[in-house]
Amino acid sequence: MSSQPPSRPPGSRRIYLLQVVSVVAIWAFVLGISGWILHLLRLSHQLHDVPSASIGISIVAIPVFLTGASVLTYVFVGLRRGRDAGGEEQR
Amino acid sequence: MSADKHEFVDGDLLRSIEQSGVGFRVATTVLGLTVLTAWVLFSRQILEGLGVTGLNQPVAWGFYIVNFVFFIGISHAGTLISAILRLSQAEWRRPITRMAEVITVVVLAIGAFHPVLDLGRPERALNIFTAGRLQSPLLWDVSSISAYFMASTVYLYIPMIPDIAILRDRGVRPRWLYSFLAWGWQGTPRQQAVLGRAVNIMMVLVIPIAVSVHTVISYIFAMTLQPGWHSTIFGPYFVVGAIFSGIAALLMVMIVLRRIFRLERYLKQIHFDYLSRLLLIMALLWFYFTFSEYLTAFFGHEPAEMRVFYYKVSGPYAPFFWGMVVCNFLVPVLILAFRRTRTIPGIFVASLTVVVGMWLERLNIVVPSLANPRSGLPTGYYLPSVVEWGMFAGGIATFILGFVLFARFFPLISLWEIQEGRELSVAETAARLETYLPDPPAAAPAEEASP
Repeated sequence: MSSQPPSRPPGSRRIYLLQVVSVVAIWAFVLGISGWILHLLRLSHQLHDVPSASIGISIVAIPVFLTGASVLTYVFVGLRRGRDAGGEEQR
Repeated sequence: MSADKHEFVDGDLLRSIEQSGVGFRVATTVLGLTVLTAWVLFSRQILEGLGVTGLNQPVAWGFYIVNFVFFIGISHAGTLISAILRLSQAEWRRPITRMAEVITVVVLAIGAFHPVLDLGRPERALNIFTAGRLQSPLLWDVSSISAYFMASTVYLYIPMIPDIAILRDRGVRPRWLYSFLAWGWQGTPRQQAVLGRAVNIMMVLVIPIAVSVHTVISYIFAMTLQPGWHSTIFGPYFVVGAIFSGIAALLMVMIVLRRIFRLERYLKQIHFDYLSRLLLIMALLWFYFTFSEYLTAFFGHEPAEMRVFYYKVSGPYAPFFWGMVVCNFLVPVLILAFRRTRTIPGIFVASLTVVVGMWLERLNIVVPSLANPRSGLPTGYYLPSVVEWGMFAGGIATFILGFVLFARFFPLISLWEIQEGRELSVAETAARLETYLPDPPAAAPAEEASP
């Protein structure tokens, strides 16, 4: 407690944790979707289905999800790093 | 993107957030009850099965799939239009983009839920996680719509961060929500650079995704051998139709919100003029695609195709087919082609008819082909039940409710983009003046200046 400056509003640490959890949740969602698509790809291989459609969808969909999550993470980290040292504690 | 400059200049944009009154409570109650009624009807459908709908053999797809395609089409209003306008640096976009992006996210969520409604056993939708086949265009839809939903949500959220920070700094409640969503925004140059880069990446990413989504939706029809569906131009035809209905929906939303929230200072005649010209172009493009699609079918004169063709143009679906042509082509072109009728009420009427016409178009695509199967079965019929009408009303109510709730918590017009536009316009004007006005006299030495 003593490490926190007195100007810090109550609950700001909780909000920060919530923000981190939301970013982690986004990654869990994206990795879950990517895992699901890869599972379907493996399934189509096991069932001797035509794999081209599965591969095509995987090539397009997985990078889109990863890019979306990466952009959000970049913004989250970038905004944290880009804050004024003086005003930092009030946000 | 500085947060603290807008406090008093654009304070009226925060009125719906800081002073929500009786109107908000009445609207949410009425809309909430409509949505609740739709859920009650849906639970009845779950308990009694699809027998409570008008779906039957051979017409196994009805309102739910029509509305699915319709709502996903409307969703093109937002992110795609917003991204294209941002990318082309169209300055007049600034008061429009936020509304357009909200339409996308809300409508996409509603549309994506409709195939689940169409299942007699909705819990079986979960089977796609374990035993889905990516060879099916239906699963292409699942993955492309979820990608589009994620990209659109990110694209809506990131440019909202500076505005959320304004709400946080003004102490608007719930304060924790705005602190949570503002992600520590202070408007420093470094933060602005990060945000600008992220918006640029997303706007480039979102355009091909948006185009691919509606192309893939057309594939659930075009990849079959059903008469009336198996067409190579269905992809671009669906994309054009989606953008067409999207612009119309955006114009309607803009006109209604302008009236309700008194946004005349921000949404000016020029915004409606530009967007309505775009709507006019899309009407002509839609007619071109429709004409090409039906001419090709007619010229081929393949018996199965002709059954569907005549079912639409002179059979039971003739009122819907010709209604579609009137709503999508005749009315908007007659209104929007002339400056005298291209007024805001005129644009509203044209947009409304386009939205209705595009819904009729989806109906004309889905039902007649199923009612006239290639397999030699007798011609089917489809009459939607009260349950389906109720769910349709529920979908529209959810859309309006989503917008009302958004307007309660977030500004409908981007504060920082408006401010940035003002600053840029002043800087650009000053730079242009400097190119031809005489240079200011050089500063005279102090001793020469004094008598």
